[in-house]
Amino acid sequence: MNEKPKKPLKPGVCHSWEEKRKEYEEIRGDENVVKEQHEWFDEQLYQFLWLMVSHY
Amino acid sequence: MMSKNKEELYQERMNRYYTAMQNEKPDKVPIRAFVAEATGNIAGMNNQELTHVAQNAFDAAFETFKEFDWDAAMANAVNLWTGMTESYGTTYYKVPGIQLDVHETFQFIEPTTDEKAMLRPDEYDRFIEDPNEFVLNVWVPRASKYFLGPGSKNTTYNNMAWLKAGAGMVTFFNMIGTQVERMRRELGLVSAISGALKAPFDIMADAFRGFRGVSNDLYRRPDKLLKAVEAVAPHMKYVALSGADPEKKVPICLWMHRGATGFFSKEVVKKFFWPTLREITEEIYAEGHQIIYYAEGKWGKDLDLFLELPEKSIVFHCDKDDIFEVHKRIGHKFAISGGVPNDLLAFGTKEEIRSFCKKVINEVALDGGYIMDAEALMQNDTKYENLKIMTDACNEYGVY
Repeated sequence: MNEKPKKPLKPGVCHSWEEKRKEYEEIRGDENVVKEQHEWFDEQLYQFLWLMVSHY
Repeated sequence: MMSKNKEELYQERMNRYYTAMQNEKPDKVPIRAFVAEATGNIAGMNNQELTHVAQNAFDAAFETFKEFDWDAAMANAVNLWTGMTESYGTTYYKVPGIQLDVHETFQFIEPTTDEKAMLRPDEYDRFIEDPNEFVLNVWVPRASKYFLGPGSKNTTYNNMAWLKAGAGMVTFFNMIGTQVERMRRELGLVSAISGALKAPFDIMADAFRGFRGVSNDLYRRPDKLLKAVEAVAPHMKYVALSGADPEKKVPICLWMHRGATGFFSKEVVKKFFWPTLREITEEIYAEGHQIIYYAEGKWGKDLDLFLELPEKSIVFHCDKDDIFEVHKRIGHKFAISGGVPNDLLAFGTKEEIRSFCKKVINEVALDGGYIMDAEALMQNDTKYENLKIMTDACNEYGVY
């Protein structure tokens, strides 16, 4: 995904679940499991970005 | 009498540290040491070895902790791993052992023109609309010679840089967790802080516009600067709370500097620096977390602003302010830490150090609410012997 998100990203989010969900035609199992893992990894990126910023 | 086990010692020290931070009187004055490159003097490492190899910094800190009877310490105050930042090509540091002599401390490179700033003047609107998007797509590519922005032709170095950065960050946070646990288990020592915060205005002046840029913006585009400060504030609060102590005992640390006397006027501080920081502080305290206002430099002109905060919400750390004056003005509301001059720890005599520590204890710590520490992070000019003298003096004079 290279495009600017349509809505401002809130703290903790780089790639919203709303946007990520569009990549899946179907989630056959528990969607919450997929969502939570996506959000965990996404938050690791968020923390890394602002760690870089804060250390400047 | 049975000697204490390490967990009992830990609980005793935590209680002492926490009580003092609540502006109350514990059994004795706690010592909380922010030892940075000074650990290299004790462990026999230079600044390149400490800064470029993170495990060295953690090991040197632990070796140092074993030497002193402290209540709390920062798990690793050499808070930069240049081996990691070099792996993904960071552009804004001078590194000991690369651009700098092995004994020098890492340096930040300030942008000297708008063209070199991470946020250029015509990009303010994009930043204000969504700071996170700006950091991801614009700031990071500028901060590294490998990371690429959207639309660029990809390179192997870009791919490698992202993976290395991720691996490095996970490794570093694991090292912190291991160190904190080891401090408790093997030494009964409290990890002094949990979570870090920077004032939104300081972030603008440090990471986005630079000092020159912000100075110009105050006159040329003050409304945009203020909106940018307000836009970045929720991100500062989020990051601080995400690292906060779940037990709500150990405070978050706010590293303050741009609002200090000599940089910007009181009027600038009141309008650009203070409102968002006050709001963040109040919101964080409402969730049960104290904040150490690590007030680097002199902040005497702004103590009246800090008095607006809820009682006990902060621990005010004295660097260049007169700690005795600070105590008179705000000691009734907030605990105070620091104030022992780094100069004394570098060059002072035994008598000078003991005399100063005794005066601080007798005047500032009289009714509790004081935590002993140096004015600023202890770097490699700190003498081991002088640190011992400060520690012994506090443990001798500081018993209530």
